[in-house]
Amino acid sequence: MVGLSEGEKRFIRGGIAQDLRTDGRQRLHYRPISVETGVIPQANGSARVRLGATDVIVSIKAELGKPHPLQPDKGKVAIFIDCSPTAAPMFEGRGGEELSTELSFALQRCLLGGRSGAGAGIDLSSLVIVEGKVCWDLYIDGLVVSSDGNLLDALAAAIKVALSNTGIPKVTVNLGASPNDQPDVDVSDEEFLQFDTSGVPVVVTLTKVSRHYIVDATSEEESQMSSAVSISVNRHGHICGLTKRGGAGLDPSVILDMISVAKHVGEQLMSLLDSEIAAAEASAEDQ
Amino acid sequence: MEYVDSLTGFRLDGRRPNDMRQIRGEIGVVAKADGSALFEMGNTKVIAAVYGPREVQNRSQQVNNQALVRCEYSMANFSTGDRARRPKGDRRSTEISLVIRQTMEACILTHLMPRSQIDIFVQVLQADGGTRSACINAATLALADAGIPMCDIVTSCSAGYLSSTPLLDLNYIEDSAGGPDVTVGILAKMDKVTLLQMDAKLPMDIFENVMQLAIEGCKAIAQYIRGVLLENTKQLECRRGV
Repeated sequence: MVGLSEGEKRFIRGGIAQDLRTDGRQRLHYRPISVETGVIPQANGSARVRLGATDVIVSIKAELGKPHPLQPDKGKVAIFIDCSPTAAPMFEGRGGEELSTELSFALQRCLLGGRSGAGAGIDLSSLVIVEGKVCWDLYIDGLVVSSDGNLLDALAAAIKVALSNTGIPKVTVNLGASPNDQPDVDVSDEEFLQFDTSGVPVVVTLTKVSRHYIVDATSEEESQMSSAVSISVNRHGHICGLTKRGGAGLDPSVILDMISVAKHVGEQLMSLLDSEIAAAEASAEDQ
Repeated sequence: MEYVDSLTGFRLDGRRPNDMRQIRGEIGVVAKADGSALFEMGNTKVIAAVYGPREVQNRSQQVNNQALVRCEYSMANFSTGDRARRPKGDRRSTEISLVIRQTMEACILTHLMPRSQIDIFVQVLQADGGTRSACINAATLALADAGIPMCDIVTSCSAGYLSSTPLLDLNYIEDSAGGPDVTVGILAKMDKVTLLQMDAKLPMDIFENVMQLAIEGCKAIAQYIRGVLLENTKQLECRRGV
């Protein structure tokens, strides 16, 4: 997709080796990040995150559903990512499906924990209304509007921002006479409960280009990668999920080194996002 | 249901029958595309991106004396009120893709770019009635941003007829009321109709009024779009330091 000449490739690699990338950043610097909340009024929560030329929108919708029989005390969360053809002509038709699925699963792994729901960044038990009967189904829909590398980090950041923007309607439940009845549920249109997003991790992708690794690679830099490791880190510096992409093998010691770097970068990204969320909410309130 | 208040003459969302919703256009929203634009009509919000003119990707589709124009319409999962996961390329979006392609092809000077391809991708972020019109308006802005030669700008607007009143620019509630919905696309300067669609039935003389109302809407949009393009050109000029 990215057509680069031999000279450009050498320029990118040489810059990374000297810790001065083509756009003037250092290896562990992010591009400027801009955050907007409430972009989709019909949704319970939404956010648009721009990371350089990468632009993603995430919307969150809550619907009433029934908990899974094996986990009666937990709500359900599903993540769907869609790559719009506006981002690149190759996503036309079914062309974006492969990448969409890869991103959806990577995010599910990073944010939703194991199959039992243990270790999830989102507290699933807070979504239950009546145990075994009624719960909230949270649908997280992401749309890639413009793509210039590092989609996973941008999407994870957008999900985090959108969750902090999400208001779940308050519900009052009238339990039926017999325990087998489906309870009556009254959804309030006025009172909303805020979501606890302190446990939602951020994803830091380290892209390895020749001997060094960089954060927040552009699509030109991604075309030169040998492998990439995406690590999701939460506020306490714990690792919540990990995905390795790319064919080339990595030395285990390098992976451990990458994890410690990702933890450090993740803390910075987390505090940056927190301040951006506060600023976006303040500007939304002004309007 | 009362779609036009019989006392005050206001519609459900507080507009008068011949009022349009708030429109907003913005150029250059997708950094990597050759041309892109965002267009809002009330709560309806669409993004269009144009790639090209470029080499034809599928050689068998190449046309030797003119450019190949392609279009794809897609709706985001979250664009409608109730979340529905729709498959790509369903019949409705295929039809709208075709309509947009034909409308845009009519104004692009395709004979100037033989053996090349122009892709128009429209993405609906929010649907609240009139997505067809919003997509065409967004595509016009995006094509102009991409610097693709066009003989005129195409704009589109819809009008309907409910409670014995012709209504301009229907929103979703009015659109799903079951009354006639006339979508018109015009070449603004040449004053020619390039797109005309209507469902449901309407007496001949009323149809004329409704269509005239939609054409007036198109003209208002054309004026706005021209303003957006002019402003954008001024900014480009300013950046070049001319």
